[in-house]
This record gives sequence, structure tokens and C-alpha cells, in this order.
Amino acid sequence: MTATEQVPVATRAAGTLDAVKIYGQGTTEVRALDGVTVSFQTARFTAIMGPSGSGKSTLLHCVAGLDTLSSGQAFIGDTDLSELDDKALTILRREQVGFVFQAYNLVPTLTAYENIRLPMVLGGRKGDADWIDRVIDTVGLHDRLHHRPSELSGGQQQRVAVARALASRPQIIFADEPTGNLDSRAGGEILDFMRLAVHDLGQTIVMVTHDPGAASYAERIVFLADGRIVDEMHQPTAERVLDRMKRFGG
Amino acid sequence: MLKTALRNVFAHKLRLLTTGLAVMLGVAFTTGTLVFTDTMGKTFDDLFASVYENTDAVVRAEAAFEDPSGFGDQRGRVDASLVDSVAAVDGVASAQGNTTGYAQIVDKDGEPLGNPEFGAPVFGGNWDEDEATNPFTIAAGRAPAADGEAVIDRQSATDAGFEPGDRATVLVQGGPIEVTVTGIVTFGSADSPGGASVVLFPLETAQRLVGEPGMFDEIAVVAEDGISQEEIAQRVEAGLPDGVEAVTGATVTEETQDAINNGLSFINTFLLVFAVIALLVGAFIIFNTFFITVAQRTRENALLRALGATKRQVLMAVLVEALAVGLVASAVGVAAGLAVAAGLKVLLDAFGISLPAGGIVVTSSTIVTGLVAGVVVTLVAAISPARKAGKVPPVAAMRDVAVSSTGYGSKQRVIVGLVILLAGVGALLYGLFGNVDNALPVVGLGALITLFAVTVLGRTVSLPLSRVISWPLARLRGITGGLASENAKRNPKRTAATASALMIGVGLVAFITIFASSFKASVDATVSETFTGDVIVTGPGAFGSGGLDPEVADRIADLPEVDEVGAIRGGFAEIDGDAQDVLGIDNALFDLFDVGVVSGSPDDLDATSIAVHEDVADDKGLGIGDTVPVVFRTTGAQELTVRLVYSEQQPAGDWVFPMEAWEANNAEQYDFQVFVKAADGVGPAAAAAAIEDVTVDYPGAKVLDQSEYVAEQTGFVDQILGLIYALLALAIVIALLGIGNTLALSIIERTRELGVLRAVGMTRTQLRSTIRWESVVIALQGTVLGLVVGVFFGWALVEAMADEGLNTLDIPYTTLAVVVVLAAIAGIVAAVLPARRAAKLDVLRAIVSE
Repeated sequence: MTATEQVPVATRAAGTLDAVKIYGQGTTEVRALDGVTVSFQTARFTAIMGPSGSGKSTLLHCVAGLDTLSSGQAFIGDTDLSELDDKALTILRREQVGFVFQAYNLVPTLTAYENIRLPMVLGGRKGDADWIDRVIDTVGLHDRLHHRPSELSGGQQQRVAVARALASRPQIIFADEPTGNLDSRAGGEILDFMRLAVHDLGQTIVMVTHDPGAASYAERIVFLADGRIVDEMHQPTAERVLDRMKRFGG
Repeated sequence: MLKTALRNVFAHKLRLLTTGLAVMLGVAFTTGTLVFTDTMGKTFDDLFASVYENTDAVVRAEAAFEDPSGFGDQRGRVDASLVDSVAAVDGVASAQGNTTGYAQIVDKDGEPLGNPEFGAPVFGGNWDEDEATNPFTIAAGRAPAADGEAVIDRQSATDAGFEPGDRATVLVQGGPIEVTVTGIVTFGSADSPGGASVVLFPLETAQRLVGEPGMFDEIAVVAEDGISQEEIAQRVEAGLPDGVEAVTGATVTEETQDAINNGLSFINTFLLVFAVIALLVGAFIIFNTFFITVAQRTRENALLRALGATKRQVLMAVLVEALAVGLVASAVGVAAGLAVAAGLKVLLDAFGISLPAGGIVVTSSTIVTGLVAGVVVTLVAAISPARKAGKVPPVAAMRDVAVSSTGYGSKQRVIVGLVILLAGVGALLYGLFGNVDNALPVVGLGALITLFAVTVLGRTVSLPLSRVISWPLARLRGITGGLASENAKRNPKRTAATASALMIGVGLVAFITIFASSFKASVDATVSETFTGDVIVTGPGAFGSGGLDPEVADRIADLPEVDEVGAIRGGFAEIDGDAQDVLGIDNALFDLFDVGVVSGSPDDLDATSIAVHEDVADDKGLGIGDTVPVVFRTTGAQELTVRLVYSEQQPAGDWVFPMEAWEANNAEQYDFQVFVKAADGVGPAAAAAAIEDVTVDYPGAKVLDQSEYVAEQTGFVDQILGLIYALLALAIVIALLGIGNTLALSIIERTRELGVLRAVGMTRTQLRSTIRWESVVIALQGTVLGLVVGVFFGWALVEAMADEGLNTLDIPYTTLAVVVVLAAIAGIVAAVLPARRAAKLDVLRAIVSE
């Protein structure tokens, strides 16, 4: 039972086709993804929800090129990730993908500004200075740019991480529980920035979360259970999400 | 707790391996040294036991004085007529006079065999007709029966390709002679006695060629059955003239063994110094590894504390882990020591110091020493980390503890470090310049304290030093260089401790290099300043044993191309109670060298006079006309009169005998070196060519100009330098292991960070490069500190030895630059495995790992 929106390929930022991910073998075999076909549209903010072990993180990792599928395909734009070797994948991540993790997003030896520019510097690119300025403005970090992560609060660190993800104007940004380690106020700020990035800057964001409040910031929620897509919701509110979760016992 | 500790050891096999390797190498080297020297000692013991196996007593001259090089007593010869009177003593079955002395076989290319200056001796002697006392056995051909015949040892025969019936040239007193090799002999089952090159002549020929006609070095006595060695020695002794003694065969065997072992103990000490250095460097690695792992296990230890483990239990757990590592590594090290022993022999061989090898001797004390050294070093190094582990509060289990503690060193630490540094440098300088009686221990202690102070201050110096070293890195290597330099800076304490291990090795290399280079420069300066001649002829043999026949100098003097010729002879004498190396010199030499006459005149020197350096003269209160007691091997005690006081240490040394006095008091006459001044209008090259026409008749003679002479005189320095480099290489390899280990441990700590880097687009190549450059920064840091310390030590030593002829400080910048480059390369090599490991890191697992 797959419920997918039929989206023209041209507007697809990333997606999977019949994605299967199997861990272990024989009696210990676990099908983390069991035939997932999904598309993430350009300039949209999508959330992936599901209970623990539903495969939501696995899906994110596989689409982001951090992990490989057992079968099926994963795409960034039109690029089939299964055809890329480690180096090509790395360069793809550097140039077309942004990441925000739950915690420890930043390299402790680099300043906030250096962290933001890291993907570009690694690729030997200058990046778009005006754009970076705008991103920094948007996340409001101008006065903390030359501090190291250890001198920033958790919320500030996460804002730097979002800025880094945005700075290289990637095709798509993946966020894995970006607010999981933050208090609700700092978490709300981060989610606001992410929504702003989608609406004002035209970015594409896919976020994994188990927090209905966080998910309600998205325009569309994909629900996963047991490695399959079980439902989908558009223009969610926190109440509708909670309600949906109660019904499914997730 | 014991189980936890041991589980820790085996859970981290790689760490166990690298930490263990650091200990193991040091232990292997220690054990190898002991096995090697024991084996050598045993070989020589066996050798001399078989030389005197059937000899019940030996008649010989009483000792004149002890050999200054510590290899035995110097004694004169006994009259040949004594053989008959000894043989007539009741109970003597047979008495055989023997003589030995310098003789060197020349190979078919005209090159003298052997390297007596550094290796086994070359000697000649008489073929002992008495099978009972003759340790040699004919292996091919027959014994020498007439003048012009000789047998040689099988090793020499093999080396030079001689077979019975061949003609061979042998260098002996009176110049080279031609003999027929009638036979090849073995020494028991060995090809040669201890690697020595031996040529044996009929008795009277031997006396003439290598000894003195009518004289023997000793008379070997065989007693009739049933008479003990003591008994026969006593009976023979009773009839001997003054100055001649009879001792048992056992006594002579023991004396010779002791003398050889005494001489070899120098090699033992020399090698053990490097073993200790290796262990010391290993201790740094252990200290560092345990400190890092204890920090990484803070949470685990806190959990143990929270669950009820006492401080002591946590501390003991770390020590037990260290004990396990130490025991395993030491056991493996002891076993590996056997291979090292064989390797040491090959190494010494490669540097021209050949020693005989018998069966490997492994004593229980060697095994115990190796094990104890390894375990103690490991435990001592782990004490401080273990204490730190014990201090972890239980609450740390609940907290998220930052692993990387930056440690620049507290203010107290800096002050304490500086005080120690001052003390060390002070002691060093006091020892060198303060006119201390026994300066060496003071200097050594000062050097050790200085090294220690530098390690204490290391973490404080580390940060600015890293900054300087990595300054170009961030600019040249972009982000990978930038990250590398930041990583090297993030934990100065760890970087400093890792670098310190390398500092020791590099410091010693720099020190030795500067010392050697200054020595060469000093010899060069001295020769060019004091020698006014043009050509020098050097001979075969070793100092005090063999050389050029004096006829060479006479023939050169007759050349029209030559203006003046002065020879020097070398040997041993006891002057005013001190046995020492001494020189006899031609008066002409005073024209060729500027010795700086203080008082008296070279013209006054005759057969009863001696010349002395002004410092020695001042010390002993000697002036012109005073007499000095001298003991010679040949002529015994003499009184010589001071006729000249000079000021230049080179080339004469403390005392000089005029040639007439030398000839009057020494049986053998060999020129050690001959100095020549070309005639007016004749260039040095033309003079050398004319001299070569003479020396072509004398194998082993080398005609050298000034710079060739300096190179020849200092050639041994390069040889020893090469050996020391090879031995220090071990300490450096261990230090590099340490760098690799630290990097590997740091990578474990940074797993998450590396995951982020990879996720946001760092390629494997970039990651490897980052780790490599971090390694280079650490390696260079150790190198720079080492160079500073080494240059300081080198300078201090050269300054202190200025009076002993070390008058020129020469810092070989090129060599030191090469050291820096090599260190950087070594840093890259050390990082290979950690970098590979880091690059293999699974990105996903790195990010999600907690």
C-alpha cells in the first residue's frame, strides 16, 4: 500500500523508487525499508514521521547518499545514487545536499563562519557571497560569526548548522531530528528558519522527526511504519498530526 | 575489577599492539644487547680457554704496566735461553718458546687483509711444533718448515683466495716479505681465532719477523702427568731470574678472558645506552596512550565508581592493564631480543667492527632483566594516568564530559618547568665549564634534567610552536591544512607528549651530528693551521701495532722532490704512573708542525729526554731539566729529562718522545705516519707522485694530501656516526609509533566530527590528507624541540672541550635540514595507518554513534 502524489520528474528534488533496505540476514533479517517510492518536491518542506524503527531515518540516510539501498533506486534530482562511487557521492553531498543533524553538527576547531563555508571550501569553491550574507542575516548570526562552537549555545549551534546547509544552495537539505536536543523555544526558532528558507529562499527541506509540533511546520508529512509509507498529510497542524498518530497508535 | 581491566586490554587489540610495540622494541633491544655481549664474551672465553687448554704453566716477563685501552697488561719478552733451563726443571714434560707480533697478510690485489684499527687483530707468530700446546691444526697442505714458508688461517685464505703453494706478501718488521703458503690452518673447528688474521712462521723466522731474535714472549710449559698446574708453576718459578714469572695456564686463561671482557664491556655499555634511550621513549608512548584512553574512558570509570568501585580499584584496574601490556610486550620483546642480537652483529659488521660469533648465549639474568625493565617502565609510565582515572568523580557518569581537555599548562607548571630548566642548564654548564673533578655525571645529569624540563614545558611551548609550524600549512594546503593545524593545536598536552618522544631521538641525532661535524672541522683547522708540509704517508696496521717500515721514510727523504721528512711512531708507555697512548716523533717534525715552543728547544731532545705540553707541565710542576719516570714495555723503568715544553695539543698530545728515545726503548720500529714537505719549486702533486713511486713497494701505504689526510683521520667518525644513527633510529621509530598511536586514538575521539566532515562533503583523500598533515605538524614539533636541545648540547660540549682540541664549532645546517625533511616524511609515514582507518570510517555510523 503506497500512497504517492504523482509529481512531474522536473520538479522532483529527490526521491526513491521501490526502495528496499535490509539489515542482517536469515532469521535476523530486518527490512528497514520495504518498497518505498516517494518524491520530495522542489521548494517544499516535507516531514517524515513514524514510530521508532519505522525506517524514517533509514529513508533519509539513503536518499541523502549516506547509506546505500539493498534494492530499488534513490535519486537526488535526476542522479541515481546507486551509480555513484564514494568520491562521486561525496562530491554530490558537498554540492547538492545540505545536512542538519540532531547534535554535534559542527567541527569544533572551526569558527561559526568557517563551519558555514566548509562544504564550499572543501570543494575549493568560493560560493555566492551575497547569498551567504543573506543566509547569515536570515539566521541572525552576524555577531557570533567568529566564535567557535564551544562558545555558542545549542540553539546557536543549530542555527549555524542550518546556515551551513543553506550556504551552498543545495538541491535539497536533509534534517534529522534537528530540534531533538533543543528546548522548545530554541527548537521553534530553528523550525521558523527552516520554513523561512523554503518560503523566502526557495529551498527544499526534508526533515525526519517524531515531534508532532515540529512536523506541523512542514507543508506535507509522509508517515512511515514498518518500512512502508502508510499515510500522507498536507498542510498539517499539530492537532491533526497528534490526532493522526493516536488513530494509528504510533 | 581485574576482569574489567584485562577485558579492556583485549578489547582494544590494536592499541595493545602499538603500545606493546613501543615497550617490546625497547625490551628487545635491551635483551638483544645482553645476549649479544654475553655471546661475544662466551666466544672469547672459549677461544682463550682452548688456546691454553693443554698448557700447565706459562713463563713470561712480569707486567710492566697495564694496557691503557684496557685489553691487558703490557710486558716485555724473556730470553730464549730460559727454555732450556725451564725444560730441565723436575716435572716439566716440555717447554716451548712462543712469540707473537704484528704481521699482516696482503691479498692478491695488494691490499692488507683485515681492519685491525676497529676489528679483530692481525698478527703473526711461530708454528708450535708441540701438538699438545699448539691450538692450530693443519687443514690443508703442511706446516712451515723453512725460512720463506708460512701457514695462514683458513678465514684469511678464503678471503684472499690463497691455496697451499701460493706465494703471498706479508707485512712484518723490516718491510714486506714474500713467503710460500705451505698450509692452511684452523683454530680448533673455527676458521680463525675470533676473526683474527694469522700467519705462522717457523720459530726462528717468527722471532726475526714479528718478535725479537733470541727472545720469546712466553714459554708454554707442559707438566708430566700427575703434577698439578700450581705445583709445576711453583717449581719453575723457583729457578727464574728477576722480572720473570711463572703462572698456571688457568691463570693466564682467566687473565686474558678478563681483559677481553673488560674491553668488550665498553661495547656493552655503549649499546645499553641506546637500549635505555629506546625504553625511555617507549615510556613516553605508554604514558601518552594511557592518558588518552583514561580520558576516553572517563564515563566508564565514573560508572564503575557510581556502582561502588573505590578510587583505588579504578586506579588498580589501569595499573593491571599496564601490567598486562608490559608483561606481554616484554615477553615478546625478550624473544625478539634473540633476533636483535644477531642483527646487532650484522650492524656492527656493516660498520667495520667485526666480532666473532659463537652459539647464542641466553642467561636467565638476561631474561629477567628484559622482563623487569619492560614491566617496570610500563608500570611507572602508567602511574600518573592511573591516578587520574582514580580521581574521576562518580557524577561524571551522568554528565557529558568533554574528552579533549585543552591544557596549556598552569602558571605553576610553567614556573616549576622554568626552574627545572634553569637547574638542568645550570648543572650542564657547571659540569662543562666549572672545573669539576668528575664532570661527566654532572653533565649527564644536567642534560637529563634539561630534557625533563623541556617535556614539562612542552605543553606550554606546544601551542605557539604549532602555530609557527603550521602557519604555512593553512596557506598552502587550504582547508585540509587548516583543519590539520587546528587539530594539532586542540590538545597541546597530548601533542607535546607525543612530540617529546620524538624530541629525544632527534635531539640526540642533532647533538651527535654537531659533535662529529665539529670534531672534523677541528681536525681540519688544526692540521691546516699547524702542518706546514704538503704530503702525508700513512701505513697499515693499527696504532701501536704495525705500520710503515722506517725505511720508507728514509727512501722518501732521499728523493730530490722532497725537502724535509718527519715520521711519528705510536705505542704505549706509562708516564709518571699513567699508562697511555704515546708518540715518538722525528726532530724534523718540529719544522713541519708549529707545536708552539714554550721553553727549551727541539734541538736539545735526545735519547734520554721527553717533551711535555705546558698544561701537564704546569699541573705536575715540571720545568726544563726535571726528570720524569717512564716505564716501557721493552726496557722497563727509565728516567727521562724534560727538554721541551710546547703549547699546541695537536698533533702531539700531552707527552712526546724524541725519536732517539723511542728507538732506544721500544723493540718494534714502525712508523705510524710520515709527514713530508716538498722541495722548493716542487708542487705537492709532483712530490706525491714521486713518493708514490717509493710506496708502491709497500702495501698498505697511502700517500695523502692535507685534505685527504683529514678525511682519513676523521673517517672513523663517519663510521661511528653511521652506527649511532642506526642505533638511534630505533628510538625514532618508537617515537613515530607513538605519533601513529596518538593519531589513531584521536580519531576514535573525533569519530562524530569526522562523520560530519564526510557528510558535508570531505572526500576520503581530503580526510587522509588532513590526518597526514596533523602528523607532520606533531613530528616537526618534536623535531624542532629536538634540534634546539641538540644544538644547545652540541654547542655546550664543543665549548667545554675546546682545550682538548675541539676548537671549532661546526653546525652542519644541511644535515640538520635533512633531519627536518626526514621528520616530515616520517610524520607522513606514521599517519598512513590512522589516516587509512579514518578514511574507511562509515559516514553514517560515525554520525549516529553516541
